[in-house]
Amino acid sequence: MRLLLVDPDPARAALVAEGLAGIDPLEFRRVDRLSEADLTAFKPDLVVIACDSPDRDTLEGLREATQNSPRPVVMFVDRSDPGRAEEAVRAGVAAYIVDGLQPARVRPILEVAMSRFQLMQQLRADLAKAQSDLASRKTIERAKGLLMKEREIGEEEAYAMLRKLAMNTGRPVAAVAADLLSFHGVLKGDKP
Amino acid sequence: MTLSIDLGFVALTDAAPLIVAKERGLFGKEGLDVSLHREVSWATVRDKVSAGVFQGAHMLAPLAIAARLGLGAERSDVIAPMSLNAHGATIGVSAQLASEMKEPDAAGLARAIARRLGRSDPQVLFASVFPYSMHTYMLRYWAASAGIDPDRDMRIVTAAPTSIVDRLKTEAIDGFSVGAPWGAVCEAQCKAKIVLEAGEFWPGGPDKVLGMSETWAHREPEAMQALLRALLQAMAWADAPENLGELAGMLAAPQYLAAPADLIGKRLGKEEKNIRFSRAAASFPWQSHAAWIFSQMLRWGQVDHRVDQGRALECYRPDLYRKAAADLGISAPLADSKTEGAHAEPWALPGSRGPIPMPRDILPDGAAFDPDSLREYAASFSISRVNA
Repeated sequence: MRLLLVDPDPARAALVAEGLAGIDPLEFRRVDRLSEADLTAFKPDLVVIACDSPDRDTLEGLREATQNSPRPVVMFVDRSDPGRAEEAVRAGVAAYIVDGLQPARVRPILEVAMSRFQLMQQLRADLAKAQSDLASRKTIERAKGLLMKEREIGEEEAYAMLRKLAMNTGRPVAAVAADLLSFHGVLKGDKP
Repeated sequence: MTLSIDLGFVALTDAAPLIVAKERGLFGKEGLDVSLHREVSWATVRDKVSAGVFQGAHMLAPLAIAARLGLGAERSDVIAPMSLNAHGATIGVSAQLASEMKEPDAAGLARAIARRLGRSDPQVLFASVFPYSMHTYMLRYWAASAGIDPDRDMRIVTAAPTSIVDRLKTEAIDGFSVGAPWGAVCEAQCKAKIVLEAGEFWPGGPDKVLGMSETWAHREPEAMQALLRALLQAMAWADAPENLGELAGMLAAPQYLAAPADLIGKRLGKEEKNIRFSRAAASFPWQSHAAWIFSQMLRWGQVDHRVDQGRALECYRPDLYRKAAADLGISAPLADSKTEGAHAEPWALPGSRGPIPMPRDILPDGAAFDPDSLREYAASFSISRVNA
């Protein structure tokens, strides 16, 4: 079976490729942009495409326009498995089979693609959270330093003050700290 | 309790109703917690609405109807309770093709095609945004009006709005049909020549709708109405001349269109061919618009002639629109449908709260479109797949 993977995200595509390496017999090609040459020269039986690829519509258009060349057909596994379509869309994967390919042969491939897309989503979310946690810690440190300097108090007292402000307003400590820093800037004459 | 709602959009000027409602807090005022999600592909927008990932989205009007008919995807329960705009789509050609055409009209295109054929030059290649789009129907209509068969004498590929600019830059296409602001971007950045605007092709014609899941709308009728009210208010704001500068700046932001504000602004404002949001009943989901779209699906062989038009028409839900308009005291058209292209002069449309002033609306060849005779209309063109 020949599989064409179209994914503008190289890290994610590599993750999918790694997962698919265990499936054989599989001839696999990975591209970040779809070109018609890939379709005519490589003749994939199955195209797996990221939903965030702008080329997805191009593929849909080909399906509409080409009558005599192999036609990719929209499919999300088979209809006996209705929840699967939703899951694939949520994961951000679309698949098109070329006429004649059995849905049963597609399923394991799509399963791998979906799980790898989900894994990537999770990794990215974890990274974003780690970065934002780090930024919050830095903001709190700076606000603490400001309070210590302005109020001539100790570190523990400054943090207790921030925490009390946060509790009183029902907001995260980092948000209160950020406000404190920006208000201080404005009072000193910065443009808001 | 606030209900969270996820809405999809594509980076286009006519996503303004959603963006304005979000930025001006109009969703929040109606008790809704709305998140907007930018997508680059219309197929993905359709699938996410069909799968319930999004409750609704900014959607090509013909795509909403195609989804309901099951064209190009599994049948789904998409409804269009409101239109989001009229006008904005643009047909343009590369500087090279413009010079081959000599005159910037369809007859010029026919001449250029004939010359290329004589010299065995590559076929003229246009990009449009989706097979089921007003952009494609406008391009096909325009070309066919000069005797060009758009499936035989030229090629039309599908490309997402933002990739059309790239394709033109790399000279991979000769022309395009795309929504605002990308036509103006092609003009400014690639010296493309604009040859037709939707506002000239069919003043007051359809373009985008709010595509919603019918299942969700039935389960959450109050949230559905709140959503329509927020969007109607956003559209009134977006149409007000004093807000145009702010609107262009808002849309230009990197998380929305990520396009130059001055080019977005070029298609905004009172001038007749510019984008309309709420004025001249542009937000009303005319069933006669759905009927015209179905006639073009028939004309180009996208839908089998045995398919009943009822399912296409029921996609458009003027009843849901009227309820929201009544709550806001906005005058809504009394009829669900009208004869399209029947007014060469400004006219008054009967509305629930008094007449609605309407500018002229005429179809390109001057023939009025009667939604009750859509099949005859589809077959009336000399280039049509109906009798093929």
